[in-house]
Amino acid sequence: MEGGVFSEVRIVGWGGTDQSIVEELINKFVVPELADKGITAVYEPIVDDFQKNLINSLSAGTAGDLFYMDIFWAEYIIKAGQVEPLDNYLAKSEVLNKDDIIPSLLDAFTFEGKVYGIPKDFNSLALVYNKDLFDIAYIQYPNENDTWDDLENKLAKVVEAFDGEVTGLALAPEFARFGAFAYAAGWEPFVDGKTNLMDPAFKEAFNWYTGLKEKGLGVMPADIGQGWGGGALTTEKVAAALEGAWILGFLRDNAPNLKYGATLLPKNPGTGQPGNFIYTVAWGINANSKNKDAAFKVMEALTSPAAQQWILERGLAIPSRKALADNPYFEKDTPEAQANKIVFLGASAGNVKPFKFKEYGGKWMEPRNN
Amino acid sequence: MKIQQNHTSDINLKIKRRRWTNVGAIYLILLLFSVLFMGTFLFGALSSLKDDPSSWPPTLKTEQLSPKNWIGAYILARQGGGGGFFGELKSGHEVSFQVTYKYPMGIKIVPPQVIVPKRFKGSGRAALELDREFVADFVKIIPVEEIGRISVRDGNQVSYKIDIINPSQKDFDELPLDLLVPYKVDFLSATLSPNRIERLGRVQSWNNLVSGVIPYIFHNHFRVFNENYSRTTGRRLFTTWIFNSFFISIIKVLTTLMFASMAGYALARLKFYGKNYLFVLILFSMMIPGQVTFISNYLVLRDGIFGLTKLFGGGSLLNTFTGLIISGLVGASAVFIMKQFFEGLPKEMEESARIDGASTYQIFSKIMLPLAKPALGALTILTFQGVWNEFFWPLVIITSPMDKFTLTIGLLSFKDTYASGTFDWGPILAGAIISALPIIILFIVFQRYFVEGASFSGIKG
Repeated sequence: MEGGVFSEVRIVGWGGTDQSIVEELINKFVVPELADKGITAVYEPIVDDFQKNLINSLSAGTAGDLFYMDIFWAEYIIKAGQVEPLDNYLAKSEVLNKDDIIPSLLDAFTFEGKVYGIPKDFNSLALVYNKDLFDIAYIQYPNENDTWDDLENKLAKVVEAFDGEVTGLALAPEFARFGAFAYAAGWEPFVDGKTNLMDPAFKEAFNWYTGLKEKGLGVMPADIGQGWGGGALTTEKVAAALEGAWILGFLRDNAPNLKYGATLLPKNPGTGQPGNFIYTVAWGINANSKNKDAAFKVMEALTSPAAQQWILERGLAIPSRKALADNPYFEKDTPEAQANKIVFLGASAGNVKPFKFKEYGGKWMEPRNN
Repeated sequence: MKIQQNHTSDINLKIKRRRWTNVGAIYLILLLFSVLFMGTFLFGALSSLKDDPSSWPPTLKTEQLSPKNWIGAYILARQGGGGGFFGELKSGHEVSFQVTYKYPMGIKIVPPQVIVPKRFKGSGRAALELDREFVADFVKIIPVEEIGRISVRDGNQVSYKIDIINPSQKDFDELPLDLLVPYKVDFLSATLSPNRIERLGRVQSWNNLVSGVIPYIFHNHFRVFNENYSRTTGRRLFTTWIFNSFFISIIKVLTTLMFASMAGYALARLKFYGKNYLFVLILFSMMIPGQVTFISNYLVLRDGIFGLTKLFGGGSLLNTFTGLIISGLVGASAVFIMKQFFEGLPKEMEESARIDGASTYQIFSKIMLPLAKPALGALTILTFQGVWNEFFWPLVIITSPMDKFTLTIGLLSFKDTYASGTFDWGPILAGAIISALPIIILFIVFQRYFVEGASFSGIKG
């Protein structure tokens, strides 16, 4: 740029499909918007363990100006003072307003009253089921009014109709799936800073979840040669799986003809509520960056309604802006759009908690998974 | 006399037996090793060809390796107007396809419903392309024609002919197809085996009828090349990565050969002050684990070797090939190998050369280097293999754009592209197999040098 101040904002995020998406966003929304202000952006994907890499580069002083912050470990780096609080910027901004963002998402990145990250998108769990199996067995599809018992009955009938050729639910043996049921039963992961696994609610959920396996209504994906619920679903050996919107791209490639539907997770019969996780990733600004103002401008462009609309229309992610909840995309008649809608709704139905465990991150889950 | 004879033959028999048990044991161990190492590789290679690499239970049966499908793929690609090995669907061409089903008793015989689907990609760059042209919008499906019916024991075996025409002016490189039949109808065979059977046998689905033989067999390998291309230059990333890895490996091999042979010769033959200290220093550097010097090396590169690069108009060496190459010009162990080798050569040769009037440099380049060919060969291979497989250091140094990655890091990025939450093992396996090939070929061709290299480094100290 002649004359103007030229600043290049380094954006750091995941590799893979995310790279394509962000680079496309930069070309489509950041560059046209900010070129005359002398701001450009470049995306630097981290192909390895993102969290470790980010923490290393933050301590080495080589981290980017703008980076992904997964809700899962955001608190850790925020507490370390590495993330710039955004309140001052937001107050001045004409494009980005706190009230535009879905509150529960924003809360997840708010600490001690300050906002540290603007959520870029989010995900939650849905019950994704194979319609064919239910059709052939003449069983009603699972729906959002089902309780655990209803779902169990339906699964049992499907299993019976196929003489055990298929099992009911793909049960991933991890907290990231099972936890949603514990929350549904009313379990709180932290009470006075401590975790109580002997809580009756936790026990109830645990017994139901593992009980499915014992009753032959569930199977671990690994037992049918698959790594996760989505893979299990493509084998048509399970009637349903618990996954988020990330399953959709996989089904496009690996089971283009699968007739699937999605619905909210079943309700706990006692509390009458479903449970769920919110998985979300936000944009954070490096507290030691020299380009903070430019970085914020880029952040504005990346989270603009136009950018989020573009992402939503491609079914790539579910946007964090409230206004997009009424987007016509969600009313489309394709299984993908409907599954996305369920994931969108899942984040506000019942006992929903962000997928984070204070500053403990993944360490908190380890003993529960093993 | 006779007893003695019996006795010796007994001993002979025992010796023979022992020998054979020994041979047996050795072969068994070799067999186990090869199954363990080569077996996994071969199974990986086989799985990378399959449509579902993680098919369970594991099987050796691979549709992509059946000659019947090769012929089918060849014929279909020729009909499409392209070559048989690399096909396409050209304007005005007609693809004709046969498929046989078994209709059990009690199920009405209706021809399959033919659908040319619009398939969106779910991963990688291609997932963003909603606006591309779909072959489905241009082709015409001719009504299905029944060409044969045989009555078998509990039903009917019915064959159909399916024709698809491309009446448009455009050429397409793919023609996906789905056939839909009623539930319980068994799919028996087709000109080309379907890539997957879905919906409990009701849908037979083909990714591309006109791919041609080679892309049909190596579809995952083609995905690796085709689905990953650079946003900035548009080049295929995988090709770029292979080139980068070759480039860095070759440069590092050259610098290693040059510096290791010069340093090794100097340490072995020349007399100069502090030689032994220098050697001890080199040995010492071999003994420090890489993890200890890792951070300081990183900082040195970050600051551009104490700011020296500023003299040449450069800045930080992070994220540059220069940084990657400079930080590994030569390894202490390479110097060590060369020193040991030169020490093993007879001094008399050098002395006679000296008498003939050769300078030190001439002796080194004309006499010693040619003699050191076996050691240089071993060093070449060891270094090449080492650099080719180097993972950690490039991962730290090279960050973006993806065009700069070496193959090892590129493969790691596949984890994000194809296995972040989802597990699409095909391209990952294919990429890994491709990246292992150069080393395997290198190893097979230069086996002897590998062994020699190992024995050089083990020579007395």
